[in-house]
Amino acid sequence: MNFARLAALAAALSFTAVALAQGKGPSDPQIAGIVVAANQIDIDAGKLAKSHSKRKDVQDFAQQMITDHSAVNKQAAALAKKLGVKPEDSDTSRSLKQAAAQTAKKLKGLKGAQFDRAYVDNEVAYHQQVLDAIDKVLVPGAQNAELKALIVKVRPAIAAHLEHAKHLQGSLAKKS
Amino acid sequence: MKFVPERLEVAAGDTVVWTNRDFVPHTVTAAAAGIESGDLAEGKSFRLLAREKGEIAYLCRLHPVMRGVLIVK
Repeated sequence: MNFARLAALAAALSFTAVALAQGKGPSDPQIAGIVVAANQIDIDAGKLAKSHSKRKDVQDFAQQMITDHSAVNKQAAALAKKLGVKPEDSDTSRSLKQAAAQTAKKLKGLKGAQFDRAYVDNEVAYHQQVLDAIDKVLVPGAQNAELKALIVKVRPAIAAHLEHAKHLQGSLAKKS
Repeated sequence: MKFVPERLEVAAGDTVVWTNRDFVPHTVTAAAAGIESGDLAEGKSFRLLAREKGEIAYLCRLHPVMRGVLIVK
């Protein structure tokens, strides 16, 4: 009897632990908000690069970021609508936007090779940051199976972007 | 993002079909061999009749990190 009560108590305690852990992470509407913000940031950076860079490889990469991240946001918007989830801001989405605004300000002051390097360096760091967020926060945190599946489906594109950006970083370093 | 499989062996005279199962557009491009699928939206396919024997290295023009090899025997 005592043992059974102890087991019940242990179960209750572990339930509390799970609830607390969930309480710390972002909710599904907040995850949707992070996904939308993260994509929009890279679309905006791509547009800036298209108008500022004179190199074809950088412009092509920037266009690809616009196309791919717009496609992700289209999917995210469709899913949010289907699930009746309204993307919400959170500390994470706010800090992403704040950092992006600072980056954009810095990039706008640069020209030519300096711009290209700064843009591409930032794309490498940014996609690495997004991959980490996908693996550590967004996928483990998403409660809705379809939201989780969408993030899992997007991951290979982010990984390919990171690889592409690193490749570009290498060729920029060689030529200048 | 990758071609699955990345390496494919076929016999001369076979037709190879690539289908885009991703939600972003991709291409099958081998400039040296004169192969260009154009942008393939989700669900779209590109067919190629493998006439000549040899090895064709191709990539996605939009995502150059995606690479594949078609071996025609």
